[in-house]
Amino acid sequence: MAAPKQRPPVPFPSKEVTVSQGETQIDAFERLYRQHAPRIFSLACRMAGSAEDGEDLLQEIFLQAYRKLGSFKGDAAIGTWLYRLALNHCLDYVRSRRVKMSRLTETLDADTSFEPAAPRETPIARLDLERALERLPDGCREAFVLHDVEGFDHKEVGRLLGVAEGTSKSQVFKARLKLRAILGRRS
Amino acid sequence: MHPDENVINDYVDGALAPRERADVGRHLDSCPACRQLVADLREVTRAATTLEQHEPPSRAWSRIERAIALEAGRAPGVARASRARWLAVAAALVLATFVGLRFSPFGARRTTPDAPASIAAGNAVNAVNAVNAADALETEMRQAEQHYEKAIKGLEEIANAEQGALDPGTAATLTKNLAVIDQAIGESRAAVRSQPASEPAQQSLIENFKAKIGLLQDTVALINEMRKGNETGLARAVSGLK
Repeated sequence: MAAPKQRPPVPFPSKEVTVSQGETQIDAFERLYRQHAPRIFSLACRMAGSAEDGEDLLQEIFLQAYRKLGSFKGDAAIGTWLYRLALNHCLDYVRSRRVKMSRLTETLDADTSFEPAAPRETPIARLDLERALERLPDGCREAFVLHDVEGFDHKEVGRLLGVAEGTSKSQVFKARLKLRAILGRRS
Repeated sequence: MHPDENVINDYVDGALAPRERADVGRHLDSCPACRQLVADLREVTRAATTLEQHEPPSRAWSRIERAIALEAGRAPGVARASRARWLAVAAALVLATFVGLRFSPFGARRTTPDAPASIAAGNAVNAVNAVNAADALETEMRQAEQHYEKAIKGLEEIANAEQGALDPGTAATLTKNLAVIDQAIGESRAAVRSQPASEPAQQSLIENFKAKIGLLQDTVALINEMRKGNETGLARAVSGLK
């Protein structure tokens, strides 16, 4: 009986993240973390709607990345691979939360009708927008973050969130109106 | 007549066909309300593209590093700290995560049985389920308290042992903040004792436990950065304590 083929050693973690002399694997992974954590943390906070949940997601994402780095083929940039992994993780989180919170979300969504807002003359400050995002109903915020912040088109947003393209459009519009109302009152 | 909201949205996104776009443009020329709406929506979308990236708190990497080490069955930073000490931190974090998940707002709901479909049969079942759920929640709450207290004790031992390494100003801030959190824990614990089934009281106690663990984790992260001599990390860790 032929001996099982020995798998070639998997370079850690990939050609793009090499372990330098005197470095441990963790050191190399920390470099990867330092480079990409801000983008992923921002995505996680905005999708989850809170910094606390965003931090938990960040930890889970990088743990998962560490486990899966051996299977990274290098056919995309490591940042793209990491972003896709983070996005999928955030989507799993929001889907699971949506199931649990569906009744509440429906109530909140119903509240996002065409709301009048005081006209604003000044540009929206980034910090104000970040805070206002946290106040959006989950469905609206997720669609808005994916479309207006992350730059996906409605078709892609619909696919990612498991809703129709028209629903994505409608959710983004509701989010913009709600943000207009929140930020208009603040100005 | 005003264009419907989908048309306005597509107009803002530049997704209308040229003819429709021209129609909306003509309407906007004569309708200040729609003109204002379009201007506001454009401002929201413009602002969304300028959002900056957030730097995660300094403790985030420490948590990840410890979790990886725990999975691999070894403690991180053995050259910088004793294995036993780091394992204590890792154990404390695992306990905190476990309890945090169970007692998050969603976790708490998970423990409540689904409502039965039949209303007639459901009343009796609901009553029994409610009692069972309340008992289960109280039991879980007591377990959660024990886990949190154990986690906090482990972190406190490390923080207390190393606090001499902190500069007096940071140590004073830490002591002051811990005292505030301890007071809040005392108050919410009293609320839970007087109303054991109160979910807001339970959540408040858990949130205060989490706040204390967060502060202690920041302290440990600060001590770590001091050991590494990492100025940037040190500044981040100090700001996290305030």
